Amino acid sequence: MKKPFALILIGSAMVAGSFVGCSNHPSEEEMKQLNDLKAEVTSLENGIAAQQSEKAALLKSIADKDAQLTQCAKDKEALQQRLKGVQ
Amino acid sequence: MKYIIRLSIIAALVSLYAFSSFAQEEMTKEAWQAQITELTTKRNDLKNQFAALQKEVADLQKQDADKAQALKQCQDALASAQGEQEAPLIAKLDAIDARLNELSRLSNQDLWARKAELDSVQNWINDAYKNPSSAIQKYQERLQGEQSRLDALKKTLADIIASGEATPTYTVGTWARDRDCLWNIAKKPKIYDNPFLWPKIWQGNRDQIKNPDVIHQGQKLKIPPKAALTRDEKSALNRYWSRKHAQAPAAKP
Repeated sequence: MKKPFALILIGSAMVAGSFVGCSNHPSEEEMKQLNDLKAEVTSLENGIAAQQSEKAALLKSIADKDAQLTQCAKDKEALQQRLKGVQ
Repeated sequence: MKYIIRLSIIAALVSLYAFSSFAQEEMTKEAWQAQITELTTKRNDLKNQFAALQKEVADLQKQDADKAQALKQCQDALASAQGEQEAPLIAKLDAIDARLNELSRLSNQDLWARKAELDSVQNWINDAYKNPSSAIQKYQERLQGEQSRLDALKKTLADIIASGEATPTYTVGTWARDRDCLWNIAKKPKIYDNPFLWPKIWQGNRDQIKNPDVIHQGQKLKIPPKAALTRDEKSALNRYWSRKHAQAPAAKP
């Protein structure tokens, strides 16, 4: 009765030891490093989206101002022609 | 007792084995390393992209500011070229707008009564076009808008006139009380204030007046707008007097 028990005990200890003792998993610190990296990537993605949105708004604003500038130049020209006609 | 202790130790070892197997399924060191490598590459790419975008945005901000300044300069120059002409134009446009708003709210009957004001508004618009500042697009657009509104009102008025909807009427009273005949009706200040325009009422009511000397109490006569007699009305008047002369000495209708 004692022998088989001893054999089972030793066998179990060896099997468990092979998995727990030689652990193949990242440590807590390594997992933190991974999570920090993920967070940094997410933050950069958000930052890029915000910059792209600002860029689009600026492009629109510039296009609007260009149109207004063109119209202003036309108005100035038309006004000067009319003023010449009045004089 | 010993047997129970042994069994417990075996169970503990089996549990430890099962737990270590489960933990292994979560993430291996290799998978961790692969993710770290992939994320590091991605982060570096994103950093480069972000920096490029930041630079681009800064350039665009500068461009936008430069354009804003150029636009302000142009608008200032335009305002200075307009001198004191812009203010009267704006005042005139506001007056036109207010009058058109008022006329647009009138009933057909009231619009017909104030139809002369449409001509005044047309004159105001024509005057506004003489202001040099009207060459500026925003005022041109506003003037065109006012002209369209006025044209719409003119069309409404034309429709009202064509349908006879707004033509005022006069209900004939008795001779004994009101002395109503076409001559006297035309003479009334509220009608034409001019008895010589009586043929206008006659011709405007040919459907119910066969003989202008005979009108009946209770007849509802349409009163056409006051104006000089038309060629048809004059011809009718001449025919009337010819018949009268042929029948008897001249008499009032």
